[in-house]
Amino acid sequence: MADWMSQQGTVGEALTRQGISRRSLLKYSSYLATLLALPPTSSQAIAQALAGAKRQSVIWLSFQECTGCIESLTRSFSPSVEEMIFNLISLDYQETLQAAAGEAAERARLEAMEANKGKYVVVVDGSVSTRDGGIYSTAAGKTNLEVLKETAKDALAILSVGTCSSFGGIPRAHPNPTGAEPVSAIITDKPIINVSGCPPMPEVIAGTIAYLVTFGKLPELDHLGRPKPFFGDNIHDRCYRRPFYDQGKFAKSFDDAGAREGWCLYELGCKGPVTYNACATIKWNGNTSFPIQSGHGCLGCSEPNFWDAGSFYKPLPGRMTGAGEAVLGAAAVGAVAGAGSAFIARRRKAAASDPSASPSVPEGADQ
Amino acid sequence: MSPRDVGHDGGQFAQVSTGMAHAVEREIGQHLLALAHDGTEAAIDLRSIPMSDADRAELEESLGRGEVSATLDAMGRSDIWETAHAGVWWVRHFGTEGQVMAERIEIARVPDILRADPADVEAAAIRLGRARDFIDAHADSVAGG
Ligand code: SF4
Repeated sequence: MADWMSQQGTVGEALTRQGISRRSLLKYSSYLATLLALPPTSSQAIAQALAGAKRQSVIWLSFQECTGCIESLTRSFSPSVEEMIFNLISLDYQETLQAAAGEAAERARLEAMEANKGKYVVVVDGSVSTRDGGIYSTAAGKTNLEVLKETAKDALAILSVGTCSSFGGIPRAHPNPTGAEPVSAIITDKPIINVSGCPPMPEVIAGTIAYLVTFGKLPELDHLGRPKPFFGDNIHDRCYRRPFYDQGKFAKSFDDAGAREGWCLYELGCKGPVTYNACATIKWNGNTSFPIQSGHGCLGCSEPNFWDAGSFYKPLPGRMTGAGEAVLGAAAVGAVAGAGSAFIARRRKAAASDPSASPSVPEGADQ
Repeated sequence: MSPRDVGHDGGQFAQVSTGMAHAVEREIGQHLLALAHDGTEAAIDLRSIPMSDADRAELEESLGRGEVSATLDAMGRSDIWETAHAGVWWVRHFGTEGQVMAERIEIARVPDILRADPADVEAAAIRLGRARDFIDAHADSVAGG
C-alpha cells in the first residue's frame, strides 16, 4: 500500500500533499450529496467538513471471502472516486493492498490498534468460521475468530462490507461446513454497519465511509443494519421495468418476444420485489447498467440467505405490490411546480441526517 | 425498438418526455425570485430526480445558453455554463473516464466551484513565494544563461 494511504493528519492536508485542489473536493462533495440524497446546497458544507476532518484510521480484515468486495471498491468505475476515498481514510492494514508481509504486517495491525485505540474503524469482508474454534480459516497462525475479537475490542465501529460479513453469505449457505457466521453474530457490543451485496456497490462502500468521516456518526440504518440512504428503497420500486409489472406484461423466457420488448422479469425469478439495494438507481460500471437492465432478474444478493432462498429462476410466491410509486408514476406527479424537490424530499426521509445543518468534524461515532 | 436496444438499456423510459422538465423549470423560477429578492442561493440535483434523457435534453434546450461558460479540469472535466437566464447555471461534472458524476442547476450569482478556495490560494502563494526565492537565489546563473 502506498505510504500516503496510511498517513495520519487531516483530509485537507492529505489532498494538498497529493496536489488535489479544493475544487476537486467540492466536486466530489457534489457527487456525495447526490449519492446520499442530501440537499445539493450541502456540498460546500460537506467539502469544508471533510477538509478539516482527521483521516479515519481503518483496519481492514478479510476473512472467508472471494476478494470481490475489495475488487469492487478498487476497480470502481472512476479511479478518481477510489483515490478520493483513500484520501479520507488512513488504511493502516489491508492484506491484499499492503506491501508489508508476515510479521511486519501483523505488527502494523497491532501498532495501528494501539495508536488509535477506541478511534479506529474495522472494515470486515468475509464471514467468520466458528466451527471447531474457527480453525477452518486462519492467517498468521490465528483464527479469523480470534483476530476479529482482538481487533474489534478497541474499535469505534465496524463496517461489514459484503453479504458474507453482513449476513454470512455464500460460506454460510447450506450445509455451512465451516460454521460461518456474520460479524454481528460474534461482536455484539460495537456499532455495526452492514453494507451488503455480493459484491456491494463501490459507491455504497465509498459513500458510507465518506458519511462516517464527514458527519462523525453512523448513518441511519434499516432493520438489518444497512445504511438507509442506499438500502431504503427496494429494487422493484425503482425498476424501470415496473410499468410492465403493473400492466401484467411478463417475459416468459429469456428470449421470447416479451423479453425483447423489455417486459418485467418477475416470472423468470426476479427477486427485485424483496431486495433492498441501490442497483436500480446508481447502477454498475459508471451508471451503465444493472442485472435487470442487462436482461436477467435480480438475484437478491444483498439480502440474508439469498443463496438458499430457492431457485434464482423460480418466481416469488404471489404477485407482490411494492411500497412505493413506480418510476413513471412519480414522474407524472412532476407536472406541478416544485415536484423535483418533492421527490427528493421523499428520498430524503430515508437519508441519514439533516443535511442543511453543517456537518460536524468527526470526533467519534455517537450512536 | 431493436432487440439490442431492449437488451442494453431496456429503456423506453429514456426516450419518454414526462413533463418533468417543465416542473423543474418552474422550480428554478421560484428560486430565481428568491435570489433576486434577498440573495438566497439554491441548487437542484438533476440526478436525484427521475428525469429521462429526453427530459434533460428538453430542459437544457429550454433554458438555453447565456454569456458565460467555463471548463474545469479537476478530477475529470466539468462543464459549467450560465443559461439564458442570468443567475441560473448548469453544472455538469464528469469523472476521469468521461461518465457524468453529478449534474445540477445552481441558482447563484457565481457557482461556488468557480471561486478559488482560500486553502488553494494559500498553497499557491506559498508555492509562488518559493519559486520567487529560488529565482532570487539563482539570479546570477539565470541572468548569465
Ligand atoms: S419484478 Fe423485477 S424486473 Fe419486474 S419490475 Fe420488479 S424488479 Fe423489475
